[in-house]
Amino acid sequence: MSEGIRQKISDALDLPQDVILDVPKVILTGRIAAFIENHKGIIQYNSELVKINTSIGVVCIKGAGLLIKTIIADEITVEGKITAIELEE
Amino acid sequence: MLLIKLWNYLSGYVIIKIVGEYGERLLNQAAMKNLYLWDVKRVNDNELTAKINVKDFFKLARLAKKTRSRIYVLQRVGLFFTISKLKKRKAFLFGALLFVVAIYLMSSFIWNIEIKCPDDDLSTSVIEDLRKWGLREGTFKYGLDKQYYLNKLLTKYKNISWAEIEIRGSKLIVELVKKQLPPELEESTPCDIIASKDGIIEEIVNFRGEALVEPGQTVSKGDTLITGKVVLDQDQDQDQVLLVHAQGIVKARVWYQRAVKVPLVKTKMIPTGNSKKSLVLQLGKHVLNFQFGDIAYNHYDKKTLNEFSILPRLSGGIQFNIVEYAEMKPTKEFLDIEEASREAEAELLLQLKGILKEKKVTQKKMEYMLDSDQTSVIGSMIIEVIEDIGQKREIKYGEEKI
Repeated sequence: MSEGIRQKISDALDLPQDVILDVPKVILTGRIAAFIENHKGIIQYNSELVKINTSIGVVCIKGAGLLIKTIIADEITVEGKITAIELEE
Repeated sequence: MLLIKLWNYLSGYVIIKIVGEYGERLLNQAAMKNLYLWDVKRVNDNELTAKINVKDFFKLARLAKKTRSRIYVLQRVGLFFTISKLKKRKAFLFGALLFVVAIYLMSSFIWNIEIKCPDDDLSTSVIEDLRKWGLREGTFKYGLDKQYYLNKLLTKYKNISWAEIEIRGSKLIVELVKKQLPPELEESTPCDIIASKDGIIEEIVNFRGEALVEPGQTVSKGDTLITGKVVLDQDQDQDQVLLVHAQGIVKARVWYQRAVKVPLVKTKMIPTGNSKKSLVLQLGKHVLNFQFGDIAYNHYDKKTLNEFSILPRLSGGIQFNIVEYAEMKPTKEFLDIEEASREAEAELLLQLKGILKEKKVTQKKMEYMLDSDQTSVIGSMIIEVIEDIGQKREIKYGEEKI
């Protein structure tokens, strides 16, 4: 199914877009924690930068003293002092 | 989250170090295989630390080989490891157990006896007597027969009206209330004899003093029967009055009346035969009920069938009781007037038993009548007895002139 049709179905049925479109969902709690759902694995991790692969590209979390609080099949929680979140194509 | 943390602590986890260039790859692989990793931290370019469940750790070790990284265990955390460590430290465990037992044992003795009583002389005397009877510092506090000591105390000390023994921790508290005895009048104190009850005088014998009433006379409570004021010489204008300690026996007819009401319709509980059992866990004085299903009975009777003692009463007293709840059905029972009257009489006799036994009864009268709404029988009993109604009352100074 192309992206356009999925988008339409999601709109028509009022379903959550992240489920239908298979896109990541990022929840930011202040500057202290980021929660990424629907990821496709970690590409790079150190205390200043976490790169997470997703279906729409790489999500970069920048900051200081970053810590991967939990990691399971489709969820990652990153804690630390977060300064930026970037989406790379 | 707290639950997950608690579970991890209970089942045990390890803090590991992952060494290798492809640490991230190992993390991804672990996540794909549903291995739960947390608190992943970068130490330097090719070292990571993380925490992992004991079970998952072995699976992770297999994965590590594939991703060409090495895993080192830095620390073992959790109850599982704590217990296995303790198993090696038998002396420590034994010591800890000994400590608990020692604390328990030391707190099972009475180390302090306190008497709560404003009267110091009485307190010292009571404490000495308790020591003599075997209740002293160092007595084992469980199974102490408080009633035995109370009875002994109350029989020995007539001036104690109420006493209680309470054990609070390792302290024994004896609470005493002194009796306020009516002041016993000495032979030399002038007094009157007054009536303690209403009645008709039957017989009067005065040993000392002057009788003011005679047989057949009706007196009411508080009237002076024998006076301690004896007039010596009546001829003179100024009466010479001598105050004496009046003494004598004044017997009078006195009435006691009691009434009871016996309803004609009575509700009685009759067992229906249905019953349910339930388990009760008793820890010392605390009772825990384990109910299997609700007791849907409106009326029931509780009965303890079996008691299983797990720990004897001396060491905490843990026991299981099996309790049976028997269903009861309220049924109405109708009495006729004659039966109700008989019941009323029995009840009245029971109430007046003390008086009937002690005193000389001259007359007994019973009356029955129906209640105004005809639902119950009212029985009343009047008994006439002859008893001494004399009571001494001191003549106060200043009163004598009147």
